[in-house]
Amino acid sequence: MHCKELESVLETEGLGQLSKDARLHLATCGACQGLIADFNSISTAAKSLPAEVNPPDRIWISLRAQLEAEGLIKEPVEVSEKASWWESFLAAWKPRAFAAVTAAALVLAVAVYVKRVPQNGVSDVAKKQTPVESSRAVPAQVAGVSPAAALPANIAPTQGSGPSKAKELAPSPSESASFTLNQAELDVPNMQLAGNSQVDTALRQNLRTLNAFIAECELRLKQNPQDELAREYLHTAYQQKADLLAAMMESGRGEN
Amino acid sequence: MQPSIRSRQSLSVWGAGLFLFAASTATAAVPEHQERHFTVQGHPVVVLQNVVNGRIEVKSWKNSEVVVFSSAAKDKVAIDMEQVGDRIDIAATSTVASGQPHEVEANFQLTVPEHTELQLKTQTGLIYVEQVTGDMKLESIAGDVHLKEVSGYIIVKTTGGSFVCTLCSGKLEFTSISGSAQLLQPSFTNVNLMTTSGNILYDGDFLRTGIYTMKSGKGLVEVRFSGNDSFDLQAKTYSGTVDNQAAQFMQPEQHTSRHGNKFTRVLNRTVGLGFAKVEISTYSGTIRILKRD
Repeated sequence: MHCKELESVLETEGLGQLSKDARLHLATCGACQGLIADFNSISTAAKSLPAEVNPPDRIWISLRAQLEAEGLIKEPVEVSEKASWWESFLAAWKPRAFAAVTAAALVLAVAVYVKRVPQNGVSDVAKKQTPVESSRAVPAQVAGVSPAAALPANIAPTQGSGPSKAKELAPSPSESASFTLNQAELDVPNMQLAGNSQVDTALRQNLRTLNAFIAECELRLKQNPQDELAREYLHTAYQQKADLLAAMMESGRGEN
Repeated sequence: MQPSIRSRQSLSVWGAGLFLFAASTATAAVPEHQERHFTVQGHPVVVLQNVVNGRIEVKSWKNSEVVVFSSAAKDKVAIDMEQVGDRIDIAATSTVASGQPHEVEANFQLTVPEHTELQLKTQTGLIYVEQVTGDMKLESIAGDVHLKEVSGYIIVKTTGGSFVCTLCSGKLEFTSISGSAQLLQPSFTNVNLMTTSGNILYDGDFLRTGIYTMKSGKGLVEVRFSGNDSFDLQAKTYSGTVDNQAAQFMQPEQHTSRHGNKFTRVLNRTVGLGFAKVEISTYSGTIRILKRD
């Protein structure tokens, strides 16, 4: 038997039981002995690897954002007639997973928001909606009320409203961003972060700083919807908050 | 006699306790030092993730070798180092049981070839890089970032840490929530700085055809330019102030028609022939423009 023949035997039959010819060749061929040794070490190393490794949340967030940016996936914001899907959705997800998903949704919303060029200022919905109220909307699972009721008035589903009405009442991207950010933030008070007081303090302090700034910009936009500077700063603050929440989730996940 | 015996017994118990406490404290306080050498060729890439407190210091030398010196509490921090080709990965993680507070520390001193690409990430503690000319991405939550005589494409991202860059060149991006940025004697061709509540100081020249963007939500943005500079300036704010202390060295901007609107106050000016482009904005902070003597 030659080396090539032994290789084809290994390909078809593996390392298990070699024929007499193969063993005879192996006993005299240094190259094939090295090949077998390599296969054995790879096999041993593979067995020592963990069965499953969970990547950090930020990987999923950025992956989703990238796929969305490339138009490979789409997740349109729709106003449903019933709120039951929302309740079952919340029940199905544990808080940490939910936070990760909402952060992902946030990135999508922000991505849409970035692409949207304000031609006539903000949408009709935004004009009717108080941005501060939308950003401070109490989430359903905390308040213990119907999730639909917890949505800002213009986002909450309306019984009997037709498709055109639903379209009119669809939340603007900035409202969606604000809402999903606040959903993601729900977990933060209960989250044990890095277990490192300096880091925890810095993360929480900066979250407060951002929230105050976002509220200021939202208020300004409510008063002057066509103020592009306020919109620009609000957009940046949303992005920073999304990054900060992702860092907090990662920090908490890494330690728990 | 009885009280005396009892007090002597309690004394000995306290003494033994104190001894054990002191011994355990001394053991815990002694950090373990580790030094590793990695031979490299070409342009090495060093990736360091420090998930505990501590300082990262990077300096360069002429040798084709990366030296990593670390010190950390032996039983509380795990330090892993791995080399694959010219890439060296270093990670410091806490081994303290989850749920327990851990204020453990790992400090690193790296000596790298000049053209090394760096990716450093830490939670707290200073990141200090000196005389490295490769691209770098530096991330910190609460720690400061200090760079001296570095060049390349530099990305710095902090949550609350501040950033000081002295005699740096290349291209710079800095973002922070509450951290401040100071650029001293820079030679960047492209600068993009953004902080929500921190301050920004740019003390240096603006290079021809360079683009410089500095944004602050609430803080002070101060620019000190030299008499030889040539740039178009746009400074805008919503509710802040623009304090132009160099008005006599400027003329109304001649190249573009960038004007404000009823919501924003905008100052458009040209210094020299307006080769570079400088855009400064603050939402509610102060913009101060000065000319260096």
